[in-house]
Amino acid sequence: MFAILPWIMAGCDMIEYHPYDARIEGMIDINNRNIARIEENLQGVDTFRFAFITDTQRWYDETEDAVVAINLRPDVDFVLHGGDLTDFGATKELLWQRDILNGLKVPYVCLIGNHDCLGTGEEVFNKVFGDPNFAFTAGNVRFICMNTNALEYDYSEPVPDFHFLDAERKTFPDEADRTLFAMHVKPFDEQFNNNVAEVFEYALRAFPDPICCIYGHGHKLAADDLFGDGMMYYQCSNIKDRKYLLFTIYKEGYEYEVVDF
Amino acid sequence: MRWLIFSILFLCSVIMTPVHAFEWMPDSLNSLSGKYEQRMYKYHRWWQGLIPSHTVLQYAGSIGFLSAGVGWDYGKRNQWETTVLLGYLPKYNSDKSKLTFTLKQNYTPWSITLKPERLTVEPLTCGLFFNTIFSEEFWVDEPDRYPEGYYGFSTRVRTHIFVGQRLTHHFNGKDKKSKSITAYYELNTCDLYIASLFTNPDYLNLWDILSLSFGIKMQIF
Repeated sequence: MFAILPWIMAGCDMIEYHPYDARIEGMIDINNRNIARIEENLQGVDTFRFAFITDTQRWYDETEDAVVAINLRPDVDFVLHGGDLTDFGATKELLWQRDILNGLKVPYVCLIGNHDCLGTGEEVFNKVFGDPNFAFTAGNVRFICMNTNALEYDYSEPVPDFHFLDAERKTFPDEADRTLFAMHVKPFDEQFNNNVAEVFEYALRAFPDPICCIYGHGHKLAADDLFGDGMMYYQCSNIKDRKYLLFTIYKEGYEYEVVDF
Repeated sequence: MRWLIFSILFLCSVIMTPVHAFEWMPDSLNSLSGKYEQRMYKYHRWWQGLIPSHTVLQYAGSIGFLSAGVGWDYGKRNQWETTVLLGYLPKYNSDKSKLTFTLKQNYTPWSITLKPERLTVEPLTCGLFFNTIFSEEFWVDEPDRYPEGYYGFSTRVRTHIFVGQRLTHHFNGKDKKSKSITAYYELNTCDLYIASLFTNPDYLNLWDILSLSFGIKMQIF
């Protein structure tokens, strides 16, 4: 009867102190590791391609299928995840998603979504992936990745963080001459700090040659000139819809397509 | 926070209550003559029912690193148990360590006496428990800043179901410090994981969402 016990004990994975216990095993600091790979791989390149997936929370099977589909394409240089890897912010959820995404052959980076902020989710996200605001250079394009989940912070932290944007603009690297923005939540969403929506847009447009903004959260495809100023905002549907956005960046200009898998 | 203080005081008071203090009581109502004595007997008898009959120390099991609690056994064969536990959760990669509170209901359908007779095995224990975590990061109802029904679940309160097995050693002799000691292990899972399992039959299997615990139960009376 108790013969099952040692067998169970061998599975140390089964020790959990709490669903939000923030105990992390395995790879951490993933964004920084993968940013190093992206920057090295695409140094001096003026044409490259990346896939944008988002809102993969609690759709592990679909996320796995997306990884397989992207791995089958040799022309994708990296993957950008738009946030909401977890549904409840539970520790295991984020680690399961990390383990699935680690199956990607190309480097990937993850933004933080509002669901990822729940409970101890944000602390776990920061450890596993890195800072909620970060930037990297792919070819000649600077990617500015921002935490825009203002409602989660209830004004306890500046979201979006204009100090971060200001610092990034002032330290814009020489090898880049264009800027692409990524965030989980778009301006005018109820999660966004809409008091600063116009200021936010103004801050983005101050960057060298803004290309476009990409985001998730809304679980459906969208392409809008939100502020009527020519800056396009592209929303990708959640992974449940089995779609990702494929962006091709040329020396001048870009194009994107919706890929079904 | 009020709950937390209440829980700690409550647990401390019941753990420190000397059981022997109640042993002066007569065995039955018939031996009492006066009305006052009879009323006092019933009064004490009623409050005596609130004295926990066991204490528990548990490792892991999704309610903290280490949890301590007290509980009550009832039913014809003491097959029902209700236990309250206070758990300690170290901070690990979060900002603060936390305490949790658990209300657990246990059902033990069978008890098998082994030879020697001082050992019994309970091949199945099962039940459910509710756990709440004490931290400002967690909420029962969504804070007012959210539109109504924005998330639709509580980050603070979890509902778990569990199954387990037990082995009990019964003490005898006058010098015994307690009635029996039980070693147990349990496998539990919670609402969040069950919701994840059903929609992801390929990626997740039952073992991914099970959480193991080990514990010791001391039967006081």
